[in-house]
Amino acid sequence: MGNIKTAMVVLWLTLTLIVALSSSVLKNKVQILERQLAGINTNIQKDIENIHVLKAEWSHYNTPERLRKLAQNQLSLENAKPEQIINYSALKFNNEGDSSVNTSMNKKELTTLVKAVKSK
Amino acid sequence: MGFKANFSKRNADRFYLPGQEIRISRGVSLTKNYTTESDNVLTCRKRTAFSIFCFMFIYAVLVYKVTYVCLGNGINIDTAISSQQMADDDIIRFKNPVKRADILDRNGEIIATSLPTVNLYANTKQISNPQDVAEKLNMVFPEISYDTFLQKLSRRGAFIYLKRNLSPAQQSQVNNLGIPGLEFENCEKRIYPHKNLFAHVLGNTNVDNVGVSGIEQFMNERLTTSTKPLYLSLDLGVQNTIREALLEGVKQFNAEGAAAVLMDVKSGQIIALVSVPDFDPNENIKVEDRQMFNFATKGVYEAGSVFKVFNTALCLESGKVKVTDRFDTSRPVYFGSAKVTDPHGSHKMLTPEDILVESSNIGSTLEILQVGKKFQRKFFQSVHMDQKLSKVQLPEVAKPLFLSDSRWSQHTMATISYGYGISTTPLHILSAFSAVVNGGIYREPSLIADHQNKGKRVVSQKTSGEMRALLRAVVVRGTGRRANVEGYQVFGKTGTADKLENGRYNHKKSISSFVSGFPESDPKYAMIVVMDDPKASKETFGYTTAGWNAVPITKNIITAVAPQLNVKVDFDLEKQKSIVDAAYKR
Repeated sequence: MGNIKTAMVVLWLTLTLIVALSSSVLKNKVQILERQLAGINTNIQKDIENIHVLKAEWSHYNTPERLRKLAQNQLSLENAKPEQIINYSALKFNNEGDSSVNTSMNKKELTTLVKAVKSK
Repeated sequence: MGFKANFSKRNADRFYLPGQEIRISRGVSLTKNYTTESDNVLTCRKRTAFSIFCFMFIYAVLVYKVTYVCLGNGINIDTAISSQQMADDDIIRFKNPVKRADILDRNGEIIATSLPTVNLYANTKQISNPQDVAEKLNMVFPEISYDTFLQKLSRRGAFIYLKRNLSPAQQSQVNNLGIPGLEFENCEKRIYPHKNLFAHVLGNTNVDNVGVSGIEQFMNERLTTSTKPLYLSLDLGVQNTIREALLEGVKQFNAEGAAAVLMDVKSGQIIALVSVPDFDPNENIKVEDRQMFNFATKGVYEAGSVFKVFNTALCLESGKVKVTDRFDTSRPVYFGSAKVTDPHGSHKMLTPEDILVESSNIGSTLEILQVGKKFQRKFFQSVHMDQKLSKVQLPEVAKPLFLSDSRWSQHTMATISYGYGISTTPLHILSAFSAVVNGGIYREPSLIADHQNKGKRVVSQKTSGEMRALLRAVVVRGTGRRANVEGYQVFGKTGTADKLENGRYNHKKSISSFVSGFPESDPKYAMIVVMDDPKASKETFGYTTAGWNAVPITKNIITAVAPQLNVKVDFDLEKQKSIVDAAYKR
């Protein structure tokens, strides 16, 4: 009976020690993680704020007036004119008479291509 | 009773456990299975052992789990976070610190946003040497005088604003001064990246970031209660194109101002709304009244011949006038002493198409005389010419000057038929025009992108189709010739009216308008361009009528804007071939 009692006491003490030690380690780990989390949260918050400011800045730099000036000066681009937009049916192809017109594909090939694109 | 409790003195000293005194007689059959004294002790021990075992088992499991978590790789943190994130998505989501929602155009471009800034304030109770502080602050903010700072710092108070909306650099400089009593307050500043471009639509906010005009005022509650951006129906690129064309027109014709509105006729959504002169809402400076005035929605004026569109439409709708009818316009029409004449001379027999093409006042009068004032009044009421446009999301919307029934005489009926008698805004005219040409459905204009507007029928599809054909003739061979952009089948009507000043018409000043739509076969957009007091020049051969100013501006706008809006070009086959040939030979 006495042996059982001693064994029980030892068992209880061991278990309690393990729990105490583990709890201490756990608390330490949680504290480290909480500090990391707080740092990450602060950074995310700052990033959100910075992204917001950058969006405003992006919008400021993308004013149509500025873009047009850049496009004209750097790329020699102009606004599209109505006569630059034409119906597909009005286009000429290799197999339609005018041999001087040099296009890279005939109408049949182009129709197949258009159908393939549409099916996608 | 079949049994009795034994409370005899003989057994009183033999109680071992609580409750044992309640003994039940063995002689009674119902109590046969109840324990004796020795059974009770055994049961008690068994129960205690069982409880200890359960407790130890739970404790052991707990120890195992805690040890496993602490010393082993019991928890995969990434997995734990992601699963938690999935479950508590709303808790983990971060919020933008900026409280006032952004305003975006229909394509998601930012047109109004807020930036987080700080305000500098002073707790003067903690400032012992105001002169020294004022001197140092003056060095950081040279635009604010030393005296101003000193005056503020000399006041006693815990919260005295010194400077609002500091830049991060300025905040750092003030921090570096290390003066106790100078504090910062977090706030935000509204900014408009496109400056003047949307001035009259967006309006602006005051120093406390509360909307005081435009959409900022009208939608103030929505913008402050939800951080979701507000999408407008406006298109940044189109708005810019139209504004530039108007500014150029104002400069060319030396006009006092101009306005233009472009509307989607199928939905009632406003694609662009411009009024010049305008202002930069970023600047908190006092501007002239004219700059603050949104002519497109608040400018009430008599539109002149533009009203002939509505007159012809209502006459055709009544069934009393047909497109094949002919009207003798060779003689003036008299109403007592007043007479209606045509400024360009008499044109003899005119069809409704000729009346629009020649812009004949007499013809319009003769048309409406066949219909009557009741139908005319009802039509103008159906297109909201008698009320404010409540769905346009702007506080700066004027109510048209609509005559009462008693003042709506025969002569008034005649003058209204060619545009004098009802004073209204360009936006009212455009919405009514849109209803006439879009198949007959009136939709109140709106500035919100997802605005749903079923509308109501005001004219039949047949009348609408006929009207488009008649208005196309105005552009092909009438006063709107200079707006005939090839491929887009533009249709429209000009109008030039004397300006009303202090209750009298000033014949030297005019307001010219051109209301148009495109393409005729399937109208998608309608537009109005209004010029306030354009001047005559050599290029206009001394004319100030709409055909010489508002019409060419409209042409410039449609030429640039239609490809932007992806409107299908419809050249006839011959023209297409010549364009293709020219392109290949280039």
